Amino acid sequence: MSMQALNQLVARSIVDPSVAQAFSNGTVTSLLDNFDFSDELKTRLSDLHATNFAEFSILAYRTVKAVEEITQPRIELPSPLEGLVDDRDQAADDEQVA
Amino acid sequence: MISTTREERRWFVRNLAQGLADYTGTSEPPVPVEEMLKHPPGLYQNDFGVVEMYSSLWDATFARPLTQRGNVFVHVNLTPEKRRFALARETLSALITSKQGRALGLADLLLSELRDSAECFARALVAPAMMVEAYRKRGGSRDDFADAFGMPSEVAAARWDEVQTTVPH
Repeated sequence: MSMQALNQLVARSIVDPSVAQAFSNGTVTSLLDNFDFSDELKTRLSDLHATNFAEFSILAYRTVKAVEEITQPRIELPSPLEGLVDDRDQAADDEQVA
Repeated sequence: MISTTREERRWFVRNLAQGLADYTGTSEPPVPVEEMLKHPPGLYQNDFGVVEMYSSLWDATFARPLTQRGNVFVHVNLTPEKRRFALARETLSALITSKQGRALGLADLLLSELRDSAECFARALVAPAMMVEAYRKRGGSRDDFADAFGMPSEVAAARWDEVQTTVPH
């Protein structure tokens, strides 16, 4: 969701002069209020130091990506050793050996 | 300027392209790139324009004579697909050198690998991600993709794979 908000902010910057103005006026925080960032992320993005909006965007991209990587659930894959042999087949094999 | 990766620059220009595509208000392909250059957002009145040229040195190139409006000079004999893509590609140079582009700091970020950034930008402008996804949901095929969006087939192949791997843009 936050990456989507950042995408929207960058997309808007190219047709809306108020984005660059907010950056040069030091009012990025109020600009971020218009987009769907979490409060924590908004604080982090407001604390970024950049010389222009393009640089801010890249730093914001890194920040959002890092946060999303931490908060997104990892996909847990089963061990390749599990499930290769059906339990019933395994039992039958054991009996045969016995 | 901080150092950046190709992936980061591509992410950035794809979103710039999305912003311009949104501006055109088009929801169905093809995106009217030339119309946008001829009737630009107010912000780019002095930056966008199209001039036909006969020189065959380039398919298209952006130039801004001193104190005059910038224009994309495009070769007269291109196919409509090649023309649309070439105009879209050169639009990034128009943006970078515009007053708004300078205010955003686009040159610092994009001039070092301009060709790659401009081609990525153009792919995203002629085939915005949301339109590509809608096309796929309607059952649109890879084979018809270039025709549906009015772009060269090699560009279409690259964009098809790109949208697959970089959703949402």
